Amino acid sequence: MFEARLNAATTLKKVLDAIKDLLNEATFDCSDAGIQLQAMDNSHVSLVSLTLRSDGFDKFRCDRNLSMGMNLGSMSKILKCANNEDTVTMKAQDNADTVTFMFESQNHEKVSDYEMKLMNLDQEHLGIPETDYSCVVRMPAMEFARICRDLSQFGESVIICCTKEGVKFSASGDVGSANIKLAQTSSVDKEEEAVTIEMQEPVSLTFACRYLNAFTKATPLSNQVQLSMSADVPLVVEYRIPDLGHIRYYLAPKIEEDES
Amino acid sequence: MGILGLSKLIADIAPFAIKEGDIKNFFGWKVAIDASMCLYQFLIAVRSDGAQLTTVDGETTSHLMGIFYRTIRLLENGIKPVYVFDGKPPDLKSGELAKRAERRDEAKKALEKATEAGDEAEMEKFNRRLVRVTKEHAAEAKELLKLMGVPFIESPCEAEAQCAAMVKSGKVYATATEDMDALTFGSSIMLRHLTFSEARKMPVKEYFYEKVLKGFELNEKEFIDLCILLGCDYCDSIKGIGPKRAVELINQYRNIETIIDNIDKSKYPIPEDWNYQVARELFVSPEITDPNEIELKWVEPDEEGIVKYLCGDRQFNEERIRNGVKKIMKSRSTSTQGRLDSFFKVLSTTPKRKPEDDKKNVNKKIKLNNSSAKKGRKPK
Repeated sequence: MFEARLNAATTLKKVLDAIKDLLNEATFDCSDAGIQLQAMDNSHVSLVSLTLRSDGFDKFRCDRNLSMGMNLGSMSKILKCANNEDTVTMKAQDNADTVTFMFESQNHEKVSDYEMKLMNLDQEHLGIPETDYSCVVRMPAMEFARICRDLSQFGESVIICCTKEGVKFSASGDVGSANIKLAQTSSVDKEEEAVTIEMQEPVSLTFACRYLNAFTKATPLSNQVQLSMSADVPLVVEYRIPDLGHIRYYLAPKIEEDES
Repeated sequence: MGILGLSKLIADIAPFAIKEGDIKNFFGWKVAIDASMCLYQFLIAVRSDGAQLTTVDGETTSHLMGIFYRTIRLLENGIKPVYVFDGKPPDLKSGELAKRAERRDEAKKALEKATEAGDEAEMEKFNRRLVRVTKEHAAEAKELLKLMGVPFIESPCEAEAQCAAMVKSGKVYATATEDMDALTFGSSIMLRHLTFSEARKMPVKEYFYEKVLKGFELNEKEFIDLCILLGCDYCDSIKGIGPKRAVELINQYRNIETIIDNIDKSKYPIPEDWNYQVARELFVSPEITDPNEIELKWVEPDEEGIVKYLCGDRQFNEERIRNGVKKIMKSRSTSTQGRLDSFFKVLSTTPKRKPEDDKKNVNKKIKLNNSSAKKGRKPK
């Protein structure tokens, strides 16, 4: 028996919005520690890793480990039927081939049940090595989303260049070029508006805008976003979901041609 | 060509070893292409009004057309191709080659008949059967590849064996061929339909060697023996043993020697002077160039050189060729997107399980068990 309840459906809605652009379907692995999801997008360029801890739920019960393959488009349709303030409960029997979403209105007068068929999916678990990143940048999530959106008008890829002084995002294309520099915030009044940089070594990497823009769909989940980078390894973009867990995106860098 | 009925057998017994995908999914990988197979395809397929494309003197140019455009298509999709050409055929193949020559002679006669009768459909059919890849075709293709800046390798012997060795050493990601014996040579990943035309909308089929072995419950040596039983290019197979029987026998006896000792020779006559051991040896340790000595480099194409080579006598349209070269340049200038799976390694895969599939497999297992139970031994 699996049962997980959240007092506000809005969080689950936002989580789904954050992953459904990259993944059409995915397997939710449930255990008594919580819910985990790890999946690469179709093109094998990026990876989504979602962790929702059991203690972050208002009620959580998972008697046996359970893997539920879901079509995220269908799941999104179902969650659209919930009001933001509704209590949402996910339920499944052991070895079930369906999952049930139950929405209860705040005044408990309306209860809706949606049952969705589960899918059998090919699952590839990737081992992500522990890495000490050369640069770790924290910045307001909204700011990052804005930068990605603005720069994608100029080119297909963004160069992220991080030094002690600050972090620079640049793009160039047929129209011309664009550069955005962010310096480290000197005085931290509001933590969520701060830009902080921890740097061991300067890094400059190139990434496809398309994927960065897809990652910023997680912006509503968190005030701050954390970018971790090292030369020649995938970028990690992390959004913390307050009191519940986190969502991490990994993105393979673009590689210069002459290396081969 | 290749191994008789192996692809169907894999689809039946180890469907999870095959993955279908779009050509786009292979961006960023280096792929070794079996050049002879590829040229043959082009000679057959690249035609206008049923006739091959030719120079003013009537020399065929279909293969050059194919090499030029299909290579560009690969490059545009971010794939780095390296063509591997056959060297001298192994001595064992002479039997197979003689058979092919015989078939060609028959086709030639049939063609003459059809021409006399004026039957155009028949004429075209037999015309295609006459197609063969000559040394000149290969030499011309190499010349063109050199101008295009695409690397090629001359294998000392069989191209598939060389490709397989390059995949095993990690030099390239996969072997692209239609010939299933790439798997027998142990190519970890094999791609089919990679060089097909875009218009055919044929998905690329990816075969995983490890998963094939797992599906058949065989080790590498046993798999080679199975392929010999199915029928390979290098020696005869036992008449009367089809794919199904071959799998059963291998599962039961694990190698050809034991099978010979145990089967009813009046029912299944062993071919005279059956040199399966030599064939096996050819699969195990084929004559190849050490992959580590090979350096692969993709360099700038020589636009003027290509135009000079293809246009003029060979009658290619200059504008189209120049456009093609621009595409190569573009594919070189844009930095390639890295792949996440080249950074992070796959730890475990949980294959899709469909309830119907499960049932099918169970049935098959039971059947295999029954047949071997009669002989008093269970397959491992």
